[in-house]
Amino acid sequence: MSVFQGSNPGKYSRALTRVVRAAVPFVIALGLGGIVLLATGHNPLAFYQLLVREAFGGVDRIAATLSAATPLLFTGLATAIAFRAGVFNVGVEGGFVFGGLIAATVALQAGLLAGMVAGALAGVLVSALPGWLKARWNVDEVVTTLMVNFVVAGVTGWLVTTFLQAKGVANSATALIPQGSWLPDLLPPYGLTAGVLVALALVVLYAVWIKHSVLGYELRQTGLNPRFSAAQGIRVGRVIMVSMLISGAIAGLGGAVHALGVVHRFVDGFSPGYGFTGIAVALLGRNSAVGVALGAVLFGALASAGTTAQLFSDIPLDIVDVLSGTVMIFAVVRLWRQR
Amino acid sequence: MITGILTSALLLWTPLAIAAMGGLLHRVGGVVNIGLEGQMLVGALIGALVSGATGNWALGVLAAGAAGGVVGLLMSLCVTRLGANEIIAGLGFTIVLSGLIGYLLRSVFDVSGTLRVTGLDPLPRVLGLDPLFLLAVVLVPVIAWSLRNTAAGLRLRATGDGFDAATALGIPANGIRDIAGTIAGMLAGIAGSHLVLGQVGLFNEDMVAGRGFIALAAFYFGRARPLPTALACLLFAVFDATQARLQTSGVPAQLIQTLPYLVVIAVLTATAVRDARGKSRRAG
Repeated sequence: MSVFQGSNPGKYSRALTRVVRAAVPFVIALGLGGIVLLATGHNPLAFYQLLVREAFGGVDRIAATLSAATPLLFTGLATAIAFRAGVFNVGVEGGFVFGGLIAATVALQAGLLAGMVAGALAGVLVSALPGWLKARWNVDEVVTTLMVNFVVAGVTGWLVTTFLQAKGVANSATALIPQGSWLPDLLPPYGLTAGVLVALALVVLYAVWIKHSVLGYELRQTGLNPRFSAAQGIRVGRVIMVSMLISGAIAGLGGAVHALGVVHRFVDGFSPGYGFTGIAVALLGRNSAVGVALGAVLFGALASAGTTAQLFSDIPLDIVDVLSGTVMIFAVVRLWRQR
Repeated sequence: MITGILTSALLLWTPLAIAAMGGLLHRVGGVVNIGLEGQMLVGALIGALVSGATGNWALGVLAAGAAGGVVGLLMSLCVTRLGANEIIAGLGFTIVLSGLIGYLLRSVFDVSGTLRVTGLDPLPRVLGLDPLFLLAVVLVPVIAWSLRNTAAGLRLRATGDGFDAATALGIPANGIRDIAGTIAGMLAGIAGSHLVLGQVGLFNEDMVAGRGFIALAAFYFGRARPLPTALACLLFAVFDATQARLQTSGVPAQLIQTLPYLVVIAVLTATAVRDARGKSRRAG
């Protein structure tokens, strides 16, 4: 499994291994980003210092980081649950976007709670078809979930320019949700909403559920070895279906929280790829609850700090994509030989 | 109207088909290439820059192919040598490349998204057809023939069909995958250069607009066989040309754009159902 385990398979060395493994992709990303910055005439160390200060220096910046981490907590968790069951769901982006549109539409008529529920159900709707196809016919879920993202993008783009478009609004957006149906702010001057509490509660729930429930056990077993699980009497198809539905519900709820807490409507281009960053979060966190939480905060810090750093230096925000994409690539590589 | 749609469909077909042929080769070698999108974007930028700097479209196309090939090789090395998941590597490379290109546009070229290259030499046209269209037309039968009749083609298929068996027989399966990945990147890069040099005449960071994923859809639809894949590209190009034409007449363009993706889900399902039925019949 790793370099350290052979000599001393103790608890601490395993924890150390985990930390080293999670740090390596970040070090590579910072190195690569440093080369890009140097080549374009910027000082990488100064920029990284600025990033850290803008991400964690002060209550307002920490609030901004947690706010940016909130959608990633949802998408990372949604991805992790499916990965844990051995289902390679890359369709969380679609669930997030569709959940956002439906939540924003329903909340206009029926208020906050109905909007959240509707968003989660919309996410379920998006993941149900690929989940069923995988469970029933063993259709490759990687491709179907990837394709579903584009279908959702087209359908939501169409809805928001036709039936659901707000009157008198030039760009493609739904009507503004009345303030009574917004998710409440936690620290009023700063834009941190109660959505982060929902997300953290789900992460804790996931940690307990995956370890201490029958279904959680079946999920882990199916992810480790589906054939052995089937031989044990686990209904693998059902577990796959359930993991996809939960994954979709969390993705949709994430979209709902983003719509009702941050954007207060649905606009075209609602998600700058939260679902895809969620994949990186889940991979970096090795699908564990703590890992997902840390990963989401790290990527949230990158996004929020990158946005303000852009204002103080002439370094474009796009450098953040270079960093997070690199982390994604190297989150799963083997950098040492395995025996 | 119909001839208008056909003409623009053939223009849109060229980059799709070239990129899809690259993805097809990689697929035959056993790797699903999700990075075509990013490789096309790199090809588009490099093609524009080199064509502008040299005033020669051919050099632009070659440079685009070389740049795409380098990216394709790097991506393949991550998959074959470092054990990266091919889907994650593909998505990750696409994110890194679009981020890097956006960064360079804003910090080096001082433009926000769209780059006009002075002195850009567009592809020449003979009877409305450009050289890359001819390349695409030639590639389809050549790849089909090579996969059946050349040693390289047989080795590539062996690598894809049975990676361990091929390795056991002494075929350098990882090396072959790297070569296939490099060729896929080269073709995707050339396809990207067609967007700039053959169609638009300037570079935009969003100009690939999912064409890499449509190419992926095409070789899934064609089940990694050259002629059906090329025809799938033609179908998708006709969809694209039709929606561009019908945009003003109230036909929902966004819905037509989802058709290629829906087609892929349907094809994958049909294939899986047939496989499952065939298996149960053999077992019974």
